[in-house]
Amino acid sequence: MVNSDGQLFTIEGVAAGLIMLFSAYLVVSATSIYTPGDTHISDMQLEQLGSDALRMMNTPNTTATAGESLLQNITKKNDGERFKETFLTFCNSTTGGSYDNLQLSADLFYRDTLTKSVKQFHFAHSRNLTGGEHAVRVTEWVHLDLIGGDPLSGAAPGIDTRMQAVLMEVLLWRD
Amino acid sequence: MARLNDDAQWIVLMGFIVSFSLFFLAIVVNQSTVVGQTTAEGVLEFPKNDIRDVRYEVLACSDLLPADMAEVQKDMASIAMDRKNAVVSFRISDAPPGSTFKKIYEIHYNNGVTAYNETANY
Amino acid sequence: MPDDHAYLSIDFLAGMTIFMVAFIWVATMIPGLLISLQGGTIDYDAVAYRTGVILVEDPGMPASPPWENKDDMQKDEIQRFGLSLTKDNPNILAPNKIERFFCSTSFSYPDDYQRRVIFGERPYSFNISLSTFDGMMNWSVGDVKPDGYGYIRRLVKIKQPSNATINAPAFRNSGEDGNVTGHVFSVHINCTQLLQDVRNPPYQIDPLRERIMVNISNLGGARVFEPANVITLNKIIIYRQNPAQPLVQVRTFDTSYIDGGNAASSLPVIVNDNASVIFPAGFFYGMANENSQLYINYTFKLSLQDLFFNNSFTSPYDYNYSPIRVTQPILKEGVVEVAIW
Repeated sequence: MVNSDGQLFTIEGVAAGLIMLFSAYLVVSATSIYTPGDTHISDMQLEQLGSDALRMMNTPNTTATAGESLLQNITKKNDGERFKETFLTFCNSTTGGSYDNLQLSADLFYRDTLTKSVKQFHFAHSRNLTGGEHAVRVTEWVHLDLIGGDPLSGAAPGIDTRMQAVLMEVLLWRD
Repeated sequence: MARLNDDAQWIVLMGFIVSFSLFFLAIVVNQSTVVGQTTAEGVLEFPKNDIRDVRYEVLACSDLLPADMAEVQKDMASIAMDRKNAVVSFRISDAPPGSTFKKIYEIHYNNGVTAYNETANY
Repeated sequence: MPDDHAYLSIDFLAGMTIFMVAFIWVATMIPGLLISLQGGTIDYDAVAYRTGVILVEDPGMPASPPWENKDDMQKDEIQRFGLSLTKDNPNILAPNKIERFFCSTSFSYPDDYQRRVIFGERPYSFNISLSTFDGMMNWSVGDVKPDGYGYIRRLVKIKQPSNATINAPAFRNSGEDGNVTGHVFSVHINCTQLLQDVRNPPYQIDPLRERIMVNISNLGGARVFEPANVITLNKIIIYRQNPAQPLVQVRTFDTSYIDGGNAASSLPVIVNDNASVIFPAGFFYGMANENSQLYINYTFKLSLQDLFFNNSFTSPYDYNYSPIRVTQPILKEGVVEVAIW
């Protein structure tokens, strides 16, 4: 026959344990997030903004320019300054009139048929990368017509003069 | 009154502590699926802008000569694989005679997590 | 002295185990109870992102006939707001949608917006603002932003409406028969040609869905023999011709902005220099279709006989894609910000 004499103490102990458990749980869940790092939200905002900026630069404003967008024109003319200014204006403008503090570094990637490789050409930057920036990467395809006489063909080493698609890649970060 | 026999109290206490900590860890794992961080990760992970960009570029290639189109196809395939870790291929062909459309576009994009296939008639 | 050895019977242990398992299971469900009370801070950014996408990348529901043409009585038929021109042109916004969305007399903050663009059971406060880079347009709806809020910024291009500016002296009539008091000037809108020549919506002049403006300037200079002639803009009549149908008069248009005035004057009215007519977005939608030819006839009455601004014997002024005749619709850059708290 089992002796049930100490059950009250046991139940008291178990109940005390449950109360401790429950209150510890309430306390811990009442604090906010305890998952590591919140950077994904700001990354998402920056990436959407950068993609929008490149897309808007690559949309012609009228049909009068023979369908050539600002980005195509800037790329053909290897105009890093203009790219930097336009992109920064796009990214840093707000509706209130104040300016944000975003920086960029842009590279152009193209395929060299001679060496059968993808080459990189640094296009523009607003300040030098120090390595401590938390940057997001946004890209845009740029369709280039024949660029035989344009500044880009002389500047980017080994770039073909044929019709091609190149990738403009921009690293965007907040200072 | 005789002292309570408290021989096993340390063992029982340690047992409780271990179970509390296991319970706590279970809660942490459970909570992590509720937090909004996953929403932003989900947005970042889906290549919405990449796919749209590929589509615009393919549409810009509508009226090219076959030799130029082949070069652009190779450009996109190699640069996308190199920089975006994605397989991109497309084909623009003429619609069969008698159809109301002029061209058929087939676009394929796959970055390992998301695959996108489109067949469009224009 | 009672024997207080803590022996436990099996049935007690079994009962206690089942109870503890059930209790732990219920305890893990408590977060679900509390979410509706306190889970707000986490998802403001997510709601802001979603609202940004709905506004900037979606044309709204219903898209056709467009939601912005529904008047205040029908606002319950609007299921969702959206500012994009079409589904295939994200980030390119339609100006009539923008004006309707930010119209504070039609929609009230926050309820009308909560149901149609913010969504969610929780009542969020928000501030949605839009402005162009050149500062010409600046719209905003919602509360003043507090210190902490969820936020997204989107870049857009806003389609500007087309307009025709006609220099009256260039269209004078001539000859003996033209020396009369009643003169008619006709503007021709060829819907078929407009919709077929340019098919890409951001660059297309869509007379059925967009605003059309016709400005006639320097009417005084169009007088030839009688510089003191008093010019009266008598009537503006709209005619429509559908294929294989006769030309019919559809209606008259009774107001015009005269001589740079801010308010529209009703016709007939005396004009000294210029007359502007703005046909609002969707004005021609009910009276014409994609194959119609529309004619807008201005009837002028002079107090004395004269040659004047009149193309009845030449050809109607074609509202088309020629940049010298019509200022084409261009896209203007802008930025949209959504803040949720």
